[in-house]
Amino acid sequence: MTPARFARLLDAHGPHPDGWPAGQRAGAAGLLAVSAEARALLETARGLDARLEKDLAQPSPEAVARLRLAVARRIARSPLPALPGRWPRLREWLRPAVPAGWGALAAMATCALWLSLSAGPAVGDPLAPLQTLPIAEDPL
Amino acid sequence: MPIALVLPRLPQAASPDAPGRPAGLMTHAAASDAELMRGAAAGDRAAFGLLVERHGERALRVALRVLGDGAEAEEVAQEAFLRAWQAAASFDPDRAQFTTWLHRITLNLAIDRTRRRGSAPAAGEAALAALPDPGPGPEASAAAAEDRAALAAALARLPARQRAAIALAYEEGLSGAEAAAALDVSERALEGLLRRARLMLRRILSP
Repeated sequence: MTPARFARLLDAHGPHPDGWPAGQRAGAAGLLAVSAEARALLETARGLDARLEKDLAQPSPEAVARLRLAVARRIARSPLPALPGRWPRLREWLRPAVPAGWGALAAMATCALWLSLSAGPAVGDPLAPLQTLPIAEDPL
Repeated sequence: MPIALVLPRLPQAASPDAPGRPAGLMTHAAASDAELMRGAAAGDRAAFGLLVERHGERALRVALRVLGDGAEAEEVAQEAFLRAWQAAASFDPDRAQFTTWLHRITLNLAIDRTRRRGSAPAAGEAALAALPDPGPGPEASAAAAEDRAALAAALARLPARQRAAIALAYEEGLSGAEAAAALDVSERALEGLLRRARLMLRRILSP
């Protein structure tokens, strides 16, 4: 391994050769043992790494608290997440029944089936609704 | 109506009887991110609130390191969480961790914003204002502030994607593969971004 190659690896993987790809570690260790230039490169890379660790920007606790509050407020006013898949409008329509579980959905389906299959009143017969009323006593 | 085809894919409400499904605040606290996202997809705002509690600082930190401006970073992090909420039902924990997904949303928004404004970030002044005081005395504080200002100014000269690579590389607990996925690049491409970023930073910061 050459010092130039070593410098490229330092920049790509950081200044901890123990964590480099396995195929590069032995070459790096061999170079460090014999090359003062490589050792100087490693020191420089360690300096930059330490500086980044120490001085990269950190959000203040106040900013984090503001973010959490702002997101909570916006989520409270936002519609529920969009439902993926087919028939999104039908899914959206059924969503209120979801908390009640499968029973509620089955009951809804049963009611819809019963309403669609039940026969309506005969057309033209004004007394048709009365035919379905229970009659306690025959007036005739 | 093909209701039978619809029912199996409906999101279910949180139920204490359902294993692995968040049901209340006590259960939420122990739930994994993926479980909380399933709750959020079913409309559980409390579950999503816990995700914001867990990962809000991380999203804000990444946005701040890309944008270099505290106010803009807060806006971007807010928008990222709002988009995560709206798309909660499309989150697939088998394809990515929640943090990787959130990082990707945040970085896309932050990088888009830097491109739209078409100039370097605000040289870290706002970011510096948000930094806690690390020094034991006024002189040490001043020296530390100078160091941070110099680094912020150097970072401001990097392309946004290189800043994003640096931000992810110094994000604790994030593997190279996750960082690459968050940036939507291969690990080799991420190494290239990091190499160019470190080379540039060393040149700028060297006395």
